Amino acid sequence: MLIKQLSVFIENKKGTLANLTGALVKNNLDIRAIAVFDTNEFGIVRLVVDNPDKALSVLKKEGFIAKLSRVIAIEPEDTPGSLNRIFNILSEHDISIDYIYSFVMRLHELPYIAFKVDKLEKAVEILTANGINVVNSEEIRGK
Amino acid sequence: MIWSKDETLEREQFSEIQERRLSETVNRAYNNVPHYKRRLNEAGLEPGDIKTLEDLAKLPFTVKDDLRANYPFGLFAIPQKEVVRYHASSGTTGKPTVVGYTKNDLATWTELIARMVTMAGVTAHDIAQVSFGYGLFTGAFGLHQGLEQVGAAVIPMSSGNTEKQIMIMKDFGTTALIGTPSYGLHMAEIARDMGIDPKKDLKVRLGLFGGEGSTEAMRRELNEAWGMFATENYGMSELIGPGVSGECQCLKGMHIFEDHFIPEIINPDTGKVLGAGETGELIITPITKEALPLLRYRTKDITSLHYEKCECGRTTVRMAKIQGRTDDMLILGGVNVFPSQIEEVLFNISGIGPHYQIKVYKKGYLDRIEIDVELIDEDLLDSFTLLENLNQTIRIKLRTVLGIDAKVNLHEPRTLVRSQGKAKRVIDLREGK
Repeated sequence: MLIKQLSVFIENKKGTLANLTGALVKNNLDIRAIAVFDTNEFGIVRLVVDNPDKALSVLKKEGFIAKLSRVIAIEPEDTPGSLNRIFNILSEHDISIDYIYSFVMRLHELPYIAFKVDKLEKAVEILTANGINVVNSEEIRGK
Repeated sequence: MIWSKDETLEREQFSEIQERRLSETVNRAYNNVPHYKRRLNEAGLEPGDIKTLEDLAKLPFTVKDDLRANYPFGLFAIPQKEVVRYHASSGTTGKPTVVGYTKNDLATWTELIARMVTMAGVTAHDIAQVSFGYGLFTGAFGLHQGLEQVGAAVIPMSSGNTEKQIMIMKDFGTTALIGTPSYGLHMAEIARDMGIDPKKDLKVRLGLFGGEGSTEAMRRELNEAWGMFATENYGMSELIGPGVSGECQCLKGMHIFEDHFIPEIINPDTGKVLGAGETGELIITPITKEALPLLRYRTKDITSLHYEKCECGRTTVRMAKIQGRTDDMLILGGVNVFPSQIEEVLFNISGIGPHYQIKVYKKGYLDRIEIDVELIDEDLLDSFTLLENLNQTIRIKLRTVLGIDAKVNLHEPRTLVRSQGKAKRVIDLREGK
């Protein structure tokens, strides 16, 4: 299963993140995950929200450059080496990872890991075949 | 359609009219304006020495500072009671430059604009929205009078209040838009915000743009955004306002109304007159103005003159698109660059919007240039690499095309300053600027 993720362009200056989250709050959108990586002058915020389609139209209306894309979310086991195993599987199948972030959902003990890879469908198939719990979008959406 | 038979005269007829009117103008200036009497005397000239077009080169130039030094009315050649209208330049530095018109001057101006808008395709069937600011600036009133003259229905909208502009445009069925090209682009952007596609939902078929320079890329952008046929026109308040020249539908340069203006091209450094087709500073001598006769006015605009007959049937000389101004040419680390050239490069890169700003400053002894642009393509958000690639593409294009190394700043859409009049594209923070 793939989940929908929002990518939003922001400039690295005071208040841009607050503008972004403010727009979502105003429209009763719930943020499930947020990730920004080190940036110099500009960056891309990755967001998982409860209603991604609505969030996209809200952000576009507010003048943001935003895009919906799909990422894989998995729930790794709480054993040493579980992440290492996942990366090995992907690497063996020649799938490269663009970026990763983790996020916590209430009622779950373990964080989810979201990642963007070059061959999404293939990655889901392989991970599932290897017994890895790939999270579906309903689980993310549910409150 | 051609508005006046004076746009299709033979070269000898133009020369004959120009020589006669030049002589009248020199006499008027010499006899009524102390500044010109002094300047001609200093040059050892009398009005009688200027008989032919070759004699023109003997005359001293007039520069904008001459108008400032004689602020407000020192260069006027008529008593105040003959003046029926004043206009003034924007005067971004210090006092504005003031210009005046007699009744005949206004009639001349109206005639020239009528020719100009006809050349651009406007007819009595058009509904023309004037989105230049009404006031001291010559743009709005100039176009207004001439558009009425050809029988178009004029909406004196003025600039600003863009949402209302779009509403009126939709409700009145505007077919011709008049304004600055940068404002034209801005209006299209606002229209789309309002859920109106200018191309489908509005009837604007012609765009008559002036008041600031523009590039071919900007024209394409305007044509594309509005579904219009955009033409450019030229003028400046000192010379009469808009109505010095304009493009016909062949788009082969702007036809100068030669029965009213004599153009020359000079080397801006030496003042030497250059030949047809050569690029240099445009000098204009208006030869029918009563209130404010100017001799050999230095426009500071860089262009060239082309005398071959145009396919549209007009025989008037055409001036090429303005390449830049002698005073906005940037010298960056020894490389001469006009902002218009930077604009041309930016317009041809997809993923960024049409608005931009250029900042120049010194770091140590070196000139640094930064260019602010707005990201508009969300597909580049898939990976940071794509964004960085865009940045690199812009840098590399600027380096290969213009030989300058610029830092490129990507901004969120709608964050750069929008102008409703002339766009200020360059901020030069170097000392002495």
